[in-house]
Amino acid sequence: MTKGKKFLMYLFLIIVSFISVFPLYWMISAATNKSAEVISGRLIPGTYFVENFKNLVASQNISRALGNSFKYAIILTLISLVVSSLAGYGFEIFHDKAKDFVMSIILLAMMVPFVATMIPLFQMFSKAGWLNTTIGFMLPTISTPFLIMMFRQSARSFPHDIMEAARIDGLSEIRIFFQMFIPTMRSTYAAAMTITFMNAWNSYLWPKVIMTDSNSQTMPMVVANLTQGYVTDYGMLMLAVLICTLPTAIVFFCLQNAFAEGITGAVK
Amino acid sequence: MKKKVLSLLLVGAMLGATLTGCGGDSNSSSTADNSSSNASTADTTPAADTSTDAPAADTSAGAQSLTVWCWDPAFNMNAMYEAEKVYQQDHPDFTLNVVETPWEDVQTKLTTAATSGDLSTLPDIFLMQDNAFQKNVISFPDAVVDLTNSGVDFSQFAAGKVAYSVIDGKNYGVPFDNGAVIGCYRTDYLEQAGLTVDDFTDITFDEYIENGKKVLEATGKPLISMQAGECDLIMMMMQSAGSSLFNEDGSANIVGNETLKIVMETYKKMKDEGVLIEVNSWDEYVGSLVSGDVAGTINGCWIMASIQTAEDQSGNWAVTNMPSLVGASGATNYSNNGGSSWAVSANCQDTALAFDFLASTFAGSTELYDNILSSGALATWAPAGDSDAYSVPNDFFGGDAVSAKIVEFSTKVPSNITGVYYYEGRDAVATAITNYINGADLESEMQGAADTVNFNMQ
Amino acid sequence: MSNSSKKLTLDKKQNLTGWIFLAPGALLIFFMSFVPMFRALILSFKSGTGAALDWCGISNYTRMFQDSVFIQSIKNTFFYLIIQVPIMLIFALILASILNNKDLRFKGLFRTMIFLPCATSLVAYAVIFRSLFANNGIINLILVKLGILSQPYAFLTNTWSARIVIIIALLWRWTGYNMVFYLSALQNIEYSVYEAAKIDGASPIQTFFKITVPLLKPTILLTAIMSTNGTLQLFDESVNLTDGGPANASITMSHYIYNISFKYVPKFGYAAAMSFLILILVAILAFLQMKVGDKRD
Repeated sequence: MTKGKKFLMYLFLIIVSFISVFPLYWMISAATNKSAEVISGRLIPGTYFVENFKNLVASQNISRALGNSFKYAIILTLISLVVSSLAGYGFEIFHDKAKDFVMSIILLAMMVPFVATMIPLFQMFSKAGWLNTTIGFMLPTISTPFLIMMFRQSARSFPHDIMEAARIDGLSEIRIFFQMFIPTMRSTYAAAMTITFMNAWNSYLWPKVIMTDSNSQTMPMVVANLTQGYVTDYGMLMLAVLICTLPTAIVFFCLQNAFAEGITGAVK
Repeated sequence: MKKKVLSLLLVGAMLGATLTGCGGDSNSSSTADNSSSNASTADTTPAADTSTDAPAADTSAGAQSLTVWCWDPAFNMNAMYEAEKVYQQDHPDFTLNVVETPWEDVQTKLTTAATSGDLSTLPDIFLMQDNAFQKNVISFPDAVVDLTNSGVDFSQFAAGKVAYSVIDGKNYGVPFDNGAVIGCYRTDYLEQAGLTVDDFTDITFDEYIENGKKVLEATGKPLISMQAGECDLIMMMMQSAGSSLFNEDGSANIVGNETLKIVMETYKKMKDEGVLIEVNSWDEYVGSLVSGDVAGTINGCWIMASIQTAEDQSGNWAVTNMPSLVGASGATNYSNNGGSSWAVSANCQDTALAFDFLASTFAGSTELYDNILSSGALATWAPAGDSDAYSVPNDFFGGDAVSAKIVEFSTKVPSNITGVYYYEGRDAVATAITNYINGADLESEMQGAADTVNFNMQ
Repeated sequence: MSNSSKKLTLDKKQNLTGWIFLAPGALLIFFMSFVPMFRALILSFKSGTGAALDWCGISNYTRMFQDSVFIQSIKNTFFYLIIQVPIMLIFALILASILNNKDLRFKGLFRTMIFLPCATSLVAYAVIFRSLFANNGIINLILVKLGILSQPYAFLTNTWSARIVIIIALLWRWTGYNMVFYLSALQNIEYSVYEAAKIDGASPIQTFFKITVPLLKPTILLTAIMSTNGTLQLFDESVNLTDGGPANASITMSHYIYNISFKYVPKFGYAAAMSFLILILVAILAFLQMKVGDKRD
């Protein structure tokens, strides 16, 4: 690659990154300003951070919300990854006409707006006695057509010859999955984990409908609470939003090397 | 590599556990009065339930406890906490569990629970927007309790306010906050145009527009900003002449509604003259007030709380009544925007307690209203307005006793018909005004709005 | 003979293993999505306000075609779909292949920064976009300073600019998200393939179209179906950026369904019927995409 091309590439990346990051910068600077300053469009960091933090802690139970969010997001992500990757693997590795058909039916499940299924789902959970329970909160989002499809698509590149070799060596199917598929597909798992964590962390509507206890408030609910009064304290709101955004960003940052090295070669 | 991922997972899980731990710790003192969640759910919950906060013991048995949903910590939640204190003076065992629930979520949860027929997720008492009362009570008559004979004396509240929560002659809500409309003005800007707030008191919209032109000329600032696509001002102007988008029998009152026509024409004139500037969003609207981009506003009295966040403008604001419509029958200088009332849900197991609590606090305690006045919660309960606390001057608004003033305004607000299809009507009129401002024909836009509303009523 | 029958039982056994693998996920989806969907389908043949519902035949379905707001919302949604999805996916693909470059420095940093928008909470980004495009916001400030505009333009309250702001917001928020899938899929391509292409004298653009795109086909299919689905169910941007305005010019189907369910006097039967129209539309588009892209080579 020539120097000029390289320069252009970096310039392009820097511009795209700047546009992507600007709102985050805005958020950070807003979290350090007074509400009236934020709303009049001040972009420079101020000195009001400590006050905003004190106000936030005084008005909302942040530690409880963070604890709940972490708890739900982590449990949900772990269960969801196992269930969905098992299914995606099953659909692809053992594929036949019947399973391909089932897969296309499953895809239909993500195409109905949640607003439409929410009330029937609530009725079912009310009969099952799952209102106000963690299981009621988590069950609808454990297995998603999206994750299954993602694992199904990536299982397509899982080399069959290795699997045959393992079978000849007498490895059981379940051990092939856990000992060969999972390590090989770590890039897919890392991407899936990031996305699932993010979705679980940000989930709002269903938890809000099914959980009524203030002890089960999560971070997105805290953020929503802050936007609802007659007066919105924008400095405090942006601080809460910042706290709500950071975990996903950190999870992504930690996991990204697993799915984006690109050269190491998955199969050795 | 596999180990790396695994260890990351472990770290994540541990981090989660730790945080959950400290979340629980810092909170253990306040969890005692847990919500009165349905006890029967605990029996059928499968063992797979990994919740650590599962043992939400049912404390409602015997103990005097109520759960309340409302949404603003500084405002209506604060009012509930103060009400709890007042009630505890005579009922030391009484506890209140206030759950912060944004209004849109109250609506979603109410709709979901009522439609599913399982009301067990609802609290004992919840706050409802006045504009949504008719819709919800008529759509879900089984979800709320009739308060007519609850011991609350509704005659002591402003009549226009009570009317929001009366359906078929029955009372369903205990009025809470005041939404009386005020005109707020930057006196320093008015001064530059040679005007005072007296020039804006008891005036008509024609005079308002003339004054506005002077202010615009002298300062370059419009007199008022409004959120485009929202018809708050339209609705306030309508109500100031006692007019509604619906008739007594529920049918739409849009085509041939002379008041609506005058309102739309006046609004367009304000916009065309540059007296009114439309902004894109609510944030921008509040921003225009606190950063001095406009010389004033017309809104429900709760807007004062937002204005007062601009501490540097203290003393430069004044409050008076709103302009009246020209040519509309029954035109006054008073109207209402926003406000909410307390409803008792059908899930309330101890309605006697809920009734008594509301009757002896929000409908029976001047002490409560005095205590919450500093948070901006103005009463619509007449006895509270006579209290000394209401005549204390407010320095931000030039040393004027604004509280007493607003309570007086609220008694003069003409009552109108909200209508079950209030939000449908409102959105249809918002569409019509947007198109009209952009040059469409007024008559045909009003016809279009009426068609939309009638279609939705089918 | 005995050999082939043994093979048959092995196939059968493998077939069964497959079903066992996919059973937990598939059953959960059946109970959590299809059972409620079926109930919603029944609901779509009922009408009435609130909780009191009666059978009404297909009137909810015929009603849609007389509902001018709903028809407007279909047009808006398809406008977003046709403009935004292709631009976003191409852009994500280009970014992913640049960031997959072995020699690139600060890769981790760039990747994280480009991913950040989709991690940003909706509330924050709605507030930010509204303030960016406000009458006295930065965008207007810059355009006026550069002399492109003579006075500030109300981006969010004019028909076409409101729609375009929504598209910009979507591109900003979801490009990095799609890039993640491409990056993770790119890892499964052996680097030696690229080395070989380089030795053969292929230009980067040829490599992109001849190697990267074909090998990423399963992932491109996945993201295309996801984005189509996401856009047809678009809700957040319409509610939070423009509130569907001006005069319903930017309202989406899901936003209107939400209004019918929770803002207006609830008509769940009608809302369910409209939802099933979305289902049918997405299903047709997904089917077409699967036909084109889901072939095992």
